[in-house]
Amino acid sequence: MRKILLGTTAVVSAVVGGAMMAPQASAQEAPTVRIGGFFRAYYGYTNQTGQQSITSSGLPLGAGGSTVQFPTLPAGQNSIARSGKHDISTDAGINVLVNGKLANGLTYGAVISLNSGGLEGRGFSGSRSTAGKTTVAVDEMYAFIAHPRFGQVRMGDEDGVMGGLMNSGWVQGFGTGGVHGSWESFVSRQGGGRTTTQPGGLGDASKIIYMTPQFAGFDFGASFAPNYNGGSGTGCPNEAQSGACDRVYAFSGARGLGIPPAGGDFAARRNEYQLAARWRGNVAGVGLAATVGYIGAGAARDLTNSGAQQRVLNNLNIWQAGLQASFAGFTLGAAYTYGDYNFFWGNTVRGDRPGEQLVVGGQYVAGPITVGANFTTGLFEGGNRDTFTDVGTGFTRTRPAAVAGTSTNAASQRRWGMGIGANYRLAPGMDLIAEYVHYSVREEGRDLDANRPGIQSRSFSNVFLTGVRLAF
Amino acid sequence: MKNTARPILLLGLALPLLAACAGGRLVGNQEYGTDNPRELALRQTGAATSAGIVVFGVDRSRQAQDAAQGGGGMTVNAFLWRASLDTLSFMPLASADPFGGVIITDWYSPPQAEGERFKATAYVIGRQLRSDGVRVQVFRQIQRGNQWVDAPASTATNSEMEDRVLARARELRSQSAGTSR
Repeated sequence: MRKILLGTTAVVSAVVGGAMMAPQASAQEAPTVRIGGFFRAYYGYTNQTGQQSITSSGLPLGAGGSTVQFPTLPAGQNSIARSGKHDISTDAGINVLVNGKLANGLTYGAVISLNSGGLEGRGFSGSRSTAGKTTVAVDEMYAFIAHPRFGQVRMGDEDGVMGGLMNSGWVQGFGTGGVHGSWESFVSRQGGGRTTTQPGGLGDASKIIYMTPQFAGFDFGASFAPNYNGGSGTGCPNEAQSGACDRVYAFSGARGLGIPPAGGDFAARRNEYQLAARWRGNVAGVGLAATVGYIGAGAARDLTNSGAQQRVLNNLNIWQAGLQASFAGFTLGAAYTYGDYNFFWGNTVRGDRPGEQLVVGGQYVAGPITVGANFTTGLFEGGNRDTFTDVGTGFTRTRPAAVAGTSTNAASQRRWGMGIGANYRLAPGMDLIAEYVHYSVREEGRDLDANRPGIQSRSFSNVFLTGVRLAF
Repeated sequence: MKNTARPILLLGLALPLLAACAGGRLVGNQEYGTDNPRELALRQTGAATSAGIVVFGVDRSRQAQDAAQGGGGMTVNAFLWRASLDTLSFMPLASADPFGGVIITDWYSPPQAEGERFKATAYVIGRQLRSDGVRVQVFRQIQRGNQWVDAPASTATNSEMEDRVLARARELRSQSAGTSR
């Protein structure tokens, strides 16, 4: 209908020219404040390595002699445990969304996202100070200002342009996301069984983001975060400068913080910048999207006891290229990442090898049913190869020789996984989901599970999950 | 690796500036990736990302939706109303009032004709499906420098638009007769 109209009326008078985008003449809209959210509940059947602690895990013993109301163990008694395979995992989140538009075409707004999955493990320090896992925490919060001529600026705790905003080739719009989905909620982490190097895993550190309008199919983006931290406050846990403070650029032990500690939301990463160029278009009815991007960052320096400052971590220096194609309900995509980074997007230690990763995925949508599969394989450093010794004026770096029968960091870590999933759309916003994921971590000669005897250099997880998800 | 990175970084910084200067299309928020679970689920299930409860302000998307669906107490012919909306759907909708029978589009610049833009107003008159039950007025502006100035639209445009609406209304009516049979 549109083509006929344009062809038969005087609407098209064939004026050709590269006119500048004119000021928009559009109706002003008062801001709206909207509340939305999601809820999901999955049953999971988990079969993983490390379902038992055979040697003492040291937990729970009652921190600092406190009387935690959990089987407190007498000193010297082993703490061992065995896990079953069944569980139900729930999660929910509330989003507050503000949107407005000015008469000159400028749109603006803010997003504040509160999620109940803020804590991975249970936190307890005393009989009356146990933190439940459903503690609500802010996930993302940012404001945006956008204009057809100048593009969009976002400022706040949000993913960067290569941290999820403009990537191509990551096919995860089925199930809960396949190998990048919710299976991680069921797996304990002896071998670090989780897909850590997906775009969203790069972190929501407070940053400023700029993204251009689309021009001849191309749009570009850049983002900058001064450090790894989000939220207000300085991050310092007491009245002293320490490695936990947002603004520190050198601190003792920085070499151990290339990879962020679980749940800590802080790491040695500093001055992170991301650049992305994306092209989207349609070739012979096939929708195509391609992105090339770069992620760079420095790292905090380490300090010797006498205050000598030394660079012990490599800068982040990562390239990523991705391509995806959609046709008649099918979407296929692949993305390749290479550069100086470790799993969890961590800074590698000097002397470590670069990381590389390939992801491939496909999905098909037919009416209310979506099916898909994705696969990831990557080679990373795993355990750092070198050890550092404080010699006053700096650190000396030595590479320990591998000793047979003991854990060694001499090899690279191979991580691969695949997921296959399906959704049935029961109602707009509501899905029934089934999914299976296998994930494997191997690092030849390195012990990935300290609570089992021997060298456990292979770790795998198999999760089948099914359940319901509702977004509103 | 570092040596190759620098020139490309400079290029990376230059390209956005170039694109910003040349102008272009505003990339909608839904065209950017996200790891927000709510947003992901909404996109995956085809639900409107404007879902949710409006706690402050006027929900324009819902207003437009209600208007497009004709609402409960329509005072104008439903076929003509629906046909007018369909016919003008290639232009962005600024307002639609099913009670008064007025549809006003926003300015729209066809990709084939940059430098000129159009706005249309459609009036659906009365409850009967009659050939004079709809009136369409198209406004045209052309760009002179950085200014949009009014320019006459071809007189045939209005009546051709009306013909299109009537043809579509006839189509809708025959479809609806077919389903009720």
